[in-house]
Amino acid sequence: MSANKTRYLKLGVIWLLLLAIPLWLPLFGGYQALGTRVLVLGLAAMSLNLLLGFTGVLSFGHAAYFGLGAYGTGLALKLLTHSTPLALICGVLLGGVAGALLGALIVRRRGVYFAMVTIAFGQVFYFIAFRWNTLTGGDDGLRGFERQPLDFGPWSADILHSPTLFFYFVLALFALAVGAMGFLLRSPFGRTLLAIRENERRARFLGIPVEMHIWLSFTLSCFFMSLAGGLNALLNNFADPTMLNYTQSGEIVIMIVLGGMRSFWGPLVGAAVFVLLQDYLSSLTTNWMSFLGAIFVVMVLFFPRGVLGMNWPEAFRTLRGVLRRRGRQESGELP
Amino acid sequence: MNLLEVRNVTKSFGSLTAVSGVSLNVAPGELRAVIGPNGAGKTTFFNLISGFFPPTSGAIVFDGRDITAVSASARVRNGMARTFQITEIFPEVSVYENVRVAAEVAAGLRLRPWIGRRHGAEIARLVDEILDLTGLTSKASRLVGELAHGDQRAAEIAMSLALKPRLLLLDEPTAGMGDQETYDITSLIRKLHRKGGHTIVLIEHDMRVVFHLADRLTVLDQGCLLAEGTPQEIAANAAVQAAYLGNSE
Amino acid sequence: MTDLILFNVTNGLIIGAFYVLMALGLSLILNLSGVINFAHGGFLALGAYMAYTIAPYVGFWAALLLAPILVALLGLVIERLMIHRLYGRDPLYSLLLTFGLAFIFEDVTRAIWGATGLPFSVPEYLSQPVSDKFFFITYYRLFMVAVVAVAVSGLFLFLRFSRLGVRIRAGTFDLDTVSSLGVNVRALRSFNFALGIFLAGLAGVLAGGQLSLEPTMGTSLLMPSFVAIIVGGVGSLTGTLLGGLLIGIASGITTVFWPAASDAVIYVMMAVVLLIRPRGLLGEEGLLS
Repeated sequence: MSANKTRYLKLGVIWLLLLAIPLWLPLFGGYQALGTRVLVLGLAAMSLNLLLGFTGVLSFGHAAYFGLGAYGTGLALKLLTHSTPLALICGVLLGGVAGALLGALIVRRRGVYFAMVTIAFGQVFYFIAFRWNTLTGGDDGLRGFERQPLDFGPWSADILHSPTLFFYFVLALFALAVGAMGFLLRSPFGRTLLAIRENERRARFLGIPVEMHIWLSFTLSCFFMSLAGGLNALLNNFADPTMLNYTQSGEIVIMIVLGGMRSFWGPLVGAAVFVLLQDYLSSLTTNWMSFLGAIFVVMVLFFPRGVLGMNWPEAFRTLRGVLRRRGRQESGELP
Repeated sequence: MNLLEVRNVTKSFGSLTAVSGVSLNVAPGELRAVIGPNGAGKTTFFNLISGFFPPTSGAIVFDGRDITAVSASARVRNGMARTFQITEIFPEVSVYENVRVAAEVAAGLRLRPWIGRRHGAEIARLVDEILDLTGLTSKASRLVGELAHGDQRAAEIAMSLALKPRLLLLDEPTAGMGDQETYDITSLIRKLHRKGGHTIVLIEHDMRVVFHLADRLTVLDQGCLLAEGTPQEIAANAAVQAAYLGNSE
Repeated sequence: MTDLILFNVTNGLIIGAFYVLMALGLSLILNLSGVINFAHGGFLALGAYMAYTIAPYVGFWAALLLAPILVALLGLVIERLMIHRLYGRDPLYSLLLTFGLAFIFEDVTRAIWGATGLPFSVPEYLSQPVSDKFFFITYYRLFMVAVVAVAVSGLFLFLRFSRLGVRIRAGTFDLDTVSSLGVNVRALRSFNFALGIFLAGLAGVLAGGQLSLEPTMGTSLLMPSFVAIIVGGVGSLTGTLLGGLLIGIASGITTVFWPAASDAVIYVMMAVVLLIRPRGLLGEEGLLS
């Protein structure tokens, strides 16, 4: 009961903080779109973490599905419909179905091999977006669409001109997707994914058809990823091919590691840190790429468990111990 | 009718033949031990039965159905559970979770994105029962990876039991254990066999264990079937003695 | 039409030769250490810039050999300082590390040499066309293919006949056994890493004479090299060689008929290979999977 209580308390705090972003973010000099960006990339990172952290499968090409969601949504708004939700559904279907098809092709590969194959296939979509000028706008990106106000019969919400309303639109979808993921991970199906991550051989010899479950996890992850991509297109009213590139995949993976891949909320924290750091550093220096690279290197070498995965009390104790010992040595005391 | 019939199976890896033309029949309720000197092909033989890899030739029939071409995970769902010589568990989750996953998969819930109250209660009851049987109740919330070797082995057996198997395959259940741990696991196996009525095939190295436990023994040597019979018959078998003395450890 | 096809097939072969050099280096590192070296393209670019900088002092021919050696030394330092700490860990970490290094390389290269393309001039006699009819085949292109051929045969002879080479090959299949035979696996991996980077540096110098120098010049060769490895089969260097040449020629031929698809065709080839023969043309089942 008390474990449940802490859990509900934790969830309450997280959602309150998220709901109140439009109130407290400006106090720290943040602008509205920044909060929305954190949510969108946080959703992307959490989607990939369904596969990476909770199934133990290393996909390094997930930006492709992020990008497909974005292009699908953008193109639908541009060519097919004036309904924002309908356009999002188009984007999600495009990315999700592509993921389901490719997933079936690669699901028997593992480890580094899986990573390589996912990167390489991700690049296919990058090249399509890059080369198919007439449809996608090629290198210049996809323009000429705008998110449309939501229409609920008597009510409507102008998410195009009100960044705050758009933020809550994104937050609502974020909540739906994240809620679904959380629900799933606490279900028997979710536990089979954890089992596969922990020990694939054991999972197989418990009667779990491992390939099928990995495929399901991959596909689900791609669907959620395309939703994030679609929201990103709506946020910027723009989509460009670098969204599909493997460097984008790498950024999403580092967000996950930054926050902690074994923790459900870790990727959101990682995305927040990443987005804020990027925003801050790229306003200070033109060598943002070096800083980004350094973040990768430092994280991997020194903090592989991430912000939420780290044992903070222990880290503090160690740090305090080190400081105290140094203090003693400096003051000449014997240890 | 036999529960398990292995018919003349052979497994070759390139030019090396690890198992050569071995047959085995196991009746329901029987406890069979497969023994043999190091390199006799015991684990390979187990891997063939459990579907780790397919045999080069021969057939495996389980409960009247030819399962030679059936995948490992489907064999488990058909009622065949196994443990490994090097314990295979889910180290970073609790003992309870380890057993629960197994119970849920066995109950056919593996694709369920939710679990109802009724199913949940059934699963919980089964998990508690098995933890009690295997003596793990007090350690239910500990991470399996942190347990002592003997308890990890018991947890692996508990997971296999949660599958409600009709045939339990145990690969060297006492490997690497001290005297007390060996005694505990041996009594657990005996309890499963005598009281639970489980059909068990096990590979064992420790002769004391085997002669106390098994109804019948199958002796492999260099990939071939050397002898089969009751413990008394095997103890008196000249060929078996020669094989063991020739490979004395 | 025949000329056009010939032109593009030649082009494809030359590009394929680059893929081969790049992919062989990647493959060496992947096979022995299980590391996907994302920074490989960065090392390639560095090789080209290094040659550009030292060629005025030591001449083209010395730069051809010296630049790759310098880059290999840098590779050795990075392997010793960082990458070797991640061996045996989840491949995710080495992947992210080299990914970060790739960013740093690109940025540092840009900071030192600038973002705009620099020309790297090759000796006058090499830049002449072979004949009027086949104006597009310069001596330099023949020279490049020859150097690649020499480097690749050298590598294969080394791996087959030298003691170190035999150990590297054996380590690909069973590192534990190699280690238990008393081989210093740490040193073996470091050497092997440097060898892979040397090949990247060499590819960089050669590419520098053909294309203009840009900080991203290696990155664009990275993905096709992955494809070459997957098509050829992970674990087989001969497969990588075959894969590199195949996809080079395939994209060359596609350029004739459907230029826009020349990038994508190699991925289609990869999909087909994965469908029909999942372990690649010459790959071993189960390696690194």
